Amino acid sequence: MTTENALGDQSFSAQSIQGGFIAGGLSSARVKQRAMARRSKAVEADSLLIERLKAGDQAALEEAFNLYSAKLYNVAQRILGEAADAKEVIQDVFLIVYHKAKSFKGNSQFSTWLYRLTVNAALGKIRRSKKHREVEYEEFLPKFQKDGHHLVRPVVDWSDSLDEKYAKHEMQQLLVKTLEQLKPVDKSVVVLSDLEGLSDKEIAATLDLTVSAVKTRLHRARLFLRGNLAVQLGHSAA
Amino acid sequence: MPKTINISHSLNNKTCKEMTDLVLGYVNNQLNSRLKRDFERHLDLCPDCVSFLNTYKKTIQASGSFDPAEMPPRVRDNILNFLRKRIRRLATLLLYLISQLAG
Repeated sequence: MTTENALGDQSFSAQSIQGGFIAGGLSSARVKQRAMARRSKAVEADSLLIERLKAGDQAALEEAFNLYSAKLYNVAQRILGEAADAKEVIQDVFLIVYHKAKSFKGNSQFSTWLYRLTVNAALGKIRRSKKHREVEYEEFLPKFQKDGHHLVRPVVDWSDSLDEKYAKHEMQQLLVKTLEQLKPVDKSVVVLSDLEGLSDKEIAATLDLTVSAVKTRLHRARLFLRGNLAVQLGHSAA
Repeated sequence: MPKTINISHSLNNKTCKEMTDLVLGYVNNQLNSRLKRDFERHLDLCPDCVSFLNTYKKTIQASGSFDPAEMPPRVRDNILNFLRKRIRRLATLLLYLISQLAG
């Protein structure tokens, strides 16, 4: 089992792992057992890698790079939107990994630490560039009457028409534009959750937020994305 | 003219606004059995919330459907070369400092 599996395991929600294996005929308990065994081996492999990094082993850095850089690049690129910026972030992250490995106390998983370094570097880059334009979410959030019913009725179910109207690449472009409007931390939460499949707890550890704050940000971001998609399709965001 | 459906609070205990607050917990299967039952009872009565739930789920599906941004091999090689150079430079500097201290 390689360290790659450590991140691989994190990249699937328990639900998706279960779904896949149950379809293959394995019981839920067996699936959980196997996932735990894989994770435990991966954590062990990561511990060895971090020890070598602490000892200044350059080959260990290259090993870590080979295992994790593709995933971290994906995260950085999705948060930043620019390939050149993502490259700089990944360079910085692995330099930090090499120089600061001794400061890694093992309170979180190695992969969580790597995600944290990557997201922090990306958010720092956004802050320094001052390119980000804050968008008010309010316009795209659902609205309600005083009695708690939807303000605009009927609420249109456009869930099937999204795929009909847009080809896959058009949909991706549309989503990129919509994601870009999210506040940087919210975007990071969405990327780690929906693209990387991290649990709320793992995202909280990565971003130094409470689990409750992660849920709130994720929910609000999804409501904003939903409203934005509704408007793109010619419907009310409400 | 939108069809008006009078949803009695006493029947399902939840307003559409409250349903919206619970939808994340519902899709993640994190609601307790009582809340889940109330949520589903409301869905039985309210087509607006069914539409809302379907579009919320679709949004999650869409935002999770991104193809990964792949690191081009050239960029990968550039980063690795950059890291090797920086580490070599640091090692050289350390050796120099040690030799100065020893000398």
